[in-house]
Amino acid sequence: MAATRPPVSGRQKVEAVVLYPLDWLEERSGLVGAVKYFLFRKVPGDVNWFQTLGSATLTAFIVQAITGVVLAMYYKPDPNSAYESIRHITNDVTLGWLVRGMHRWGASLFIILMFFHMARVFLFGAYKYPRELNWIIGVLLLILGMLEGFTGYLLPWDQTAYWATVVGINLNGTGPIVGPFLSYILRGGSEIGPDTLARYYSIHMLIIPGAIIGLIVLHLYLVIRLGVTSPPWSKSAAGAPWIEEEDEEGPARKGLVQPAPRGGAAK
Amino acid sequence: MDQDPIGHKPEHPPGQSVWPIGFAIGIACVLVGLVISWWVVAIGGAIALVFGALWLSDLSGHPILPAASAEPEPAPGPSGARHEAPPETSRTGFLAFATLGLGGLIGALITIPPLFLAMIPPFLKQSKKPVDLGPLSLYPLNEWRIVTFRLVAGEGPVWNRTAYIRYNGPVKGGVPSFTIISNRCAHLGCPVQPLGLVQQSQSKDISSVTHEPVKVTPVIAVSGFSCPCHGGAYDTEGNRTAGPPVRALDRFQFSIVKGRLVLGKMYSVAHVDGTGAEAEIHTHKLFGPGQHVDGWEQIFYPFTPPS
Amino acid sequence: MSSLEERRRLFARYKQDVKTRGKSFFPGAMFHDTVMSLVVVVIIIVLAIVWYETTGDTPNGDKSVSDAGLLGKVYDDKADPGTFSFVPRPDWYFYFLFYLLRIFKWPDSVILGTVGIPTVCIILLLAVPFFDTRTERRLSRRPVAVVASILVVISMGVLTWKGATATESLASENIKKVPEWVKKNNLPPEAIPGAKLFAQVGCLNCHSYLGTGGGYAGAPDLSSIGSKGLGVKFQIDHLKCPSCVNPGSPMPSFSALGDKRLRQLAIFLEASKGGK
Repeated sequence: MAATRPPVSGRQKVEAVVLYPLDWLEERSGLVGAVKYFLFRKVPGDVNWFQTLGSATLTAFIVQAITGVVLAMYYKPDPNSAYESIRHITNDVTLGWLVRGMHRWGASLFIILMFFHMARVFLFGAYKYPRELNWIIGVLLLILGMLEGFTGYLLPWDQTAYWATVVGINLNGTGPIVGPFLSYILRGGSEIGPDTLARYYSIHMLIIPGAIIGLIVLHLYLVIRLGVTSPPWSKSAAGAPWIEEEDEEGPARKGLVQPAPRGGAAK
Repeated sequence: MDQDPIGHKPEHPPGQSVWPIGFAIGIACVLVGLVISWWVVAIGGAIALVFGALWLSDLSGHPILPAASAEPEPAPGPSGARHEAPPETSRTGFLAFATLGLGGLIGALITIPPLFLAMIPPFLKQSKKPVDLGPLSLYPLNEWRIVTFRLVAGEGPVWNRTAYIRYNGPVKGGVPSFTIISNRCAHLGCPVQPLGLVQQSQSKDISSVTHEPVKVTPVIAVSGFSCPCHGGAYDTEGNRTAGPPVRALDRFQFSIVKGRLVLGKMYSVAHVDGTGAEAEIHTHKLFGPGQHVDGWEQIFYPFTPPS
Repeated sequence: MSSLEERRRLFARYKQDVKTRGKSFFPGAMFHDTVMSLVVVVIIIVLAIVWYETTGDTPNGDKSVSDAGLLGKVYDDKADPGTFSFVPRPDWYFYFLFYLLRIFKWPDSVILGTVGIPTVCIILLLAVPFFDTRTERRLSRRPVAVVASILVVISMGVLTWKGATATESLASENIKKVPEWVKKNNLPPEAIPGAKLFAQVGCLNCHSYLGTGGGYAGAPDLSSIGSKGLGVKFQIDHLKCPSCVNPGSPMPSFSALGDKRLRQLAIFLEASKGGK
């Protein structure tokens, strides 16, 4: 006769249903553990609303990526049909005007939020050791974001788009020595023509978003690894006091800590 | 024992070698070739790669070829020629080197053709065919016309361009003189406006011999040109009179074929002395807007891509 | 400057503080992030709706090019590379660069405004963590950082604002303003032909008049030029040869207009005695 088992409650049954696939996935990939680590990692208790600007920027980028991909299903990157495809999206395609509007204003928000986020990080001193690399990645993301806006501006192929691009490319051309060559590469020749639009489309859709996504992954990885800072004005800031001489707990605290080994190699 | 991954400590440092000189010659050929010809660039690049590899192999202590002018070697022993004792040529060392080398080769094979496609074609085949602008009767003596034409035939309005054209009468010797000024500002390329009264109602649309549209609009009382973007201003010969433009407006070469005006290549102008048929035009190869052709700032633009 | 050892110890202290007194990212901090992200998405959607709905329609139901709404045009006319009556503008986040180009209006300085200053700024930005290696975070003890950020915000803000409000001149737009000028400046009927010439012939590319025009430094505003009592003859002489009357003036000669038109212009200028 089979051993009797205690009755299993409804809640336990539901838990088992949910947990079984997760355990399956975890055993084979470790991903569930990674997500748990991300969600339940510790951050300082006094993190501030200003520090939501980074994730807000990420959200704006995700909006751009999704609306951009959908717009690409209707947009035609040839000078003879680009303008018409934009008119088509704006006037005829159901909710095309909304997706296009979200993409256009999402771009402005993305850039503003990047500037605000950069200002917040600067004022919090969160670019200091060991987060210098993250700051550099952030500046590169800012530059890439503005270039993304510049290349996207040409795509509607209306008067504003065309002439702003003429001036922008010529601006590059005034750079010493390599300037003229850079402007030829951007234009695809000595004059803006059909090649230019195709090039800008490739840069805007593939090259820069690829670079941005790669750098964002690195940026987030570093945030998770190095931790989030406390606001500098906080009374109970993690890591405070910032100046060792002001550390009242003195040697007892200092003794807690070994300096990081050089080069990281085990002895 | 402290061994590097390949497993050998070189017994003595690499000797003097000629490889750096060869590498330098290769780089010099590349730089010279950028000005003269792409073939020289390719040859220079190959030389630089070969000598660079030989030099690197020298520095790493595993020279591919023994250095030609090596310092006197210690008595080599009966087996003779090689500079170093071979115990390090273990299999792992060779495999590591070969993997990295092959990886580099694969990387090069994958990236170089696409990079080539992205960067080189913009510099090839830039010359444009001549553009027909209609019969000479459309251009009365000393009158300005705003002419919009297609720079390249058969690809649509993306190739629309505008020029300001004035017939100056015959030069000594009877050849007709035209002043043909591009409407792209020499500062950053904005469309330059005429300082005059545009007669839109008298605009004529004609078809060129290649069946491309050409629009000819008279403009009277022209005192010069000015650019709305950043305040550049020019006189009727295209010389800069005010604002940030770094030289005069670009012009087009022209010819008269069977009684019709035909546009040739565009070229840059430093400045123009005199006016009309007697004008002395100080010409240059076509430069992009904002690039100085004379004055001390021309050192910033030593190379111009072909146009 | 703090030593590297000091900075490492500080970071180790930080990690310990977070371990002992930190809170879990989910749900606390992540909730704030989620709320802010929702705000961002809602703002984007609202802007998109306002942009579209406030733009007028053409008779066939498409959105109009000219009847722009609160947030600007939905699209412009199709690109015409051969146009000679369009004033280019970049997107708003490049307005500071655009205005910088107007500031550097001498040919020798062009390269400063186009690539010089932006490149220097980018290098400075990238190098921030390397010239500030102090561990201090409190703003009250970081005067250089605070002053620098205030200056940057003010200068970028001012440049962007000036770029946004920079005026321009297009003959086809200017001519529509003539009736307004007649009203505002109380222009008599004989000044109207001159006003129309003034609008079209390019004067407004450099000069400004009653809020329109290029307004470049060195080209005076002409709204009340008549109240200086210079006289019609002076105006005509000046228009024929500005540098004869005003040595060093970069203004071109307008003698190509012919005596009749010059006289009309002069009458208009003399009648412009300042708006109400």
